[in-house]
Amino acid sequence: MAEGYVEYRNLRKSFGGLEILHGVDLTIPEGAFAVLVGPSGCGKSTLLRMTAGLENVTSGEINIAGRMVNNVHAKNRGIAMVFQSYALYPHMSVEDNMSFGLKMRKTPLQLITDRIKRAASILKLGPMLDRLPSQLSGGQRQRVAMGRALTREPEVFLFDEPLSNLDAKLRVEMRAEIKALHQRLKTTTIYVTHDQIEAMTMADLVVVMHDGRIEQVGEPLAIYDRPANLFVAEFLGSPAMNLIPGIIAQDADGRVVQTESGLRLPLEPEANGTVGQKVVYGIRPEHLQLDPAGDLPIRLTLVEPAGWETHVHADLGGHIVRMVSTKRVAQRAGDSTTATIDATRAHLFDAATGNRL
Amino acid sequence: MSHTTPMVEDGPTGADRLKPFVPYLLVLPGLLFVMGILGYAVVGGIILSLNETDMFMNKTFVGLKNYIDVFADPRFQDAMVRTLNFVVISIVLGIFMSMSFALVLYKVVRGRRFFRGLSLVPYFVSGIATAVMFRFIFTTSGGFVNTVLAQLGLPAQSWLGDPTLAFVVAIMANCWFMVPFASLILLGGLQTIDKDLYDAAAIDGANPIQIFFRITLPLIKPMLGVSLIWVSYISFSTFDIVLALTSGGPLKATELVSIYMYELAFQQLNFGQGAVLMVVLLVFNTVLSLIYIKIFVMGDRRHSEAGK
Repeated sequence: MAEGYVEYRNLRKSFGGLEILHGVDLTIPEGAFAVLVGPSGCGKSTLLRMTAGLENVTSGEINIAGRMVNNVHAKNRGIAMVFQSYALYPHMSVEDNMSFGLKMRKTPLQLITDRIKRAASILKLGPMLDRLPSQLSGGQRQRVAMGRALTREPEVFLFDEPLSNLDAKLRVEMRAEIKALHQRLKTTTIYVTHDQIEAMTMADLVVVMHDGRIEQVGEPLAIYDRPANLFVAEFLGSPAMNLIPGIIAQDADGRVVQTESGLRLPLEPEANGTVGQKVVYGIRPEHLQLDPAGDLPIRLTLVEPAGWETHVHADLGGHIVRMVSTKRVAQRAGDSTTATIDATRAHLFDAATGNRL
Repeated sequence: MSHTTPMVEDGPTGADRLKPFVPYLLVLPGLLFVMGILGYAVVGGIILSLNETDMFMNKTFVGLKNYIDVFADPRFQDAMVRTLNFVVISIVLGIFMSMSFALVLYKVVRGRRFFRGLSLVPYFVSGIATAVMFRFIFTTSGGFVNTVLAQLGLPAQSWLGDPTLAFVVAIMANCWFMVPFASLILLGGLQTIDKDLYDAAAIDGANPIQIFFRITLPLIKPMLGVSLIWVSYISFSTFDIVLALTSGGPLKATELVSIYMYELAFQQLNFGQGAVLMVVLLVFNTVLSLIYIKIFVMGDRRHSEAGK
């Protein structure tokens, strides 16, 4: 009996001679909302499709609810999937779309009616049951696709980039709706997206993938605060973390990171790394602030007021850095001023391996 | 944009008022051309059928006499029954073969374009050449099929000499000609189906047969309708293949309405009765096509009300 609800053990996938997944090991606990996130081509969709039973396993194991499902047909895995294209049957009404899977399983009619009623009330689909998918808006189709998954009452929900066909406003709404649905049903969910904001806001467990490997697994804020390597550091967070290469040097007040242009970036005393080591210094935009009393000379190149926050691009010793301030910025592009770094929030990565120090 | 929001005082300009008609104006010349040619033939045929016409094309109006004579003619009655058999068997066999080919071609990954192109070759071969080829294949002495049968130790058959077998061979030749185009239409339909639907259906627990009948078939209904129109029309109107293959024989076993029409009009020079047969074929083809369109194209649920 596995302790995780969905477990992958040394899972590999090849298409022809090309290996897409290079040995994935991952445990997703029961009831978790796990988000697989990474750039396109990282293997996240392949991993989801393998979980669904739509792609064969080349080697390794997939376990769902303690059962090895490598050779179990998609329909018998206890999963339901929501597709990016929604994959609603265009010639069937909303109700028929939702009941198709149950009819195929010869579910008693009364039970089908009950389940559709329940799903329709959860997703507010009642008035739409007789309509065809072509008569619905994008957000409504999305809800029908979720309704179809709900009626199956699966052990695991799989979502494949479900929001990428919606406009920005609707995406934010549906994001909240899916999360609320999960909090209500507590069904284990695996959700694939390339959008790191979806990953951060929705997940209990973020799985960052890159080039067919898992880069880091953890709670969203834990990963955000302590990215395991340069890839994760750059991928999670918007605007992205500032990364500045340099060498650890000894200063009068302790160690600093010295850049090629002679800039000295502060480190907290507990920071790892030895003097002389080549590193990449990482600082998130919100931890680099304009400060007239600061000791880092900068020249602003772009100021983007967004209302509740202001994004500032600036030249720091030859590097373009981004800052996010919740204060309004009076300076304009071209102005020279100074900034400070919150040294306790600095990240250090080994320049050679890219791993966190 | 000023031209789409006309001022109240000015009203729409002349060009604005014409705009909705532009598409129709553009297709008008082509439409008139086609209607002209078709209309001339159809109207001319109907006029012929209502007249007694001699070989100098002098017409005498006789009303429905030709129709009464033709419908009472036992040779026509036999040809009509034979044609209906021929058409029904051809439609069933032809659609089954077209669908099978379309599904196979859809699945082919390697050399897809090559095989799709290759599959159309029979369609490009003329009816006469197809008939000659089938005669080579089914000739009693030294024909391909009988040679193979002999190798297997089976008795030779008189394929084109036996009434039943000749009828079967004629249907095969007809299918050979019409299946490629019909399967291309169906293949086009298959390619419009979102592949995610098959994944969704697999997860929903549908087996391949259920997927075919409950997802694939309903979604290619319009294309199925078009290929049915094609297959029915070709089968009703088939002429050159059967004429060159059997000339309607043996013992009139393959004398279809179209063959008899040729015999009446151009051998017996009875243009009036020949034209009646043309009208009969026209009515059958039109009625069948309208039924197909009603059921398959108009009945496609996806477009039943306001689209997207």
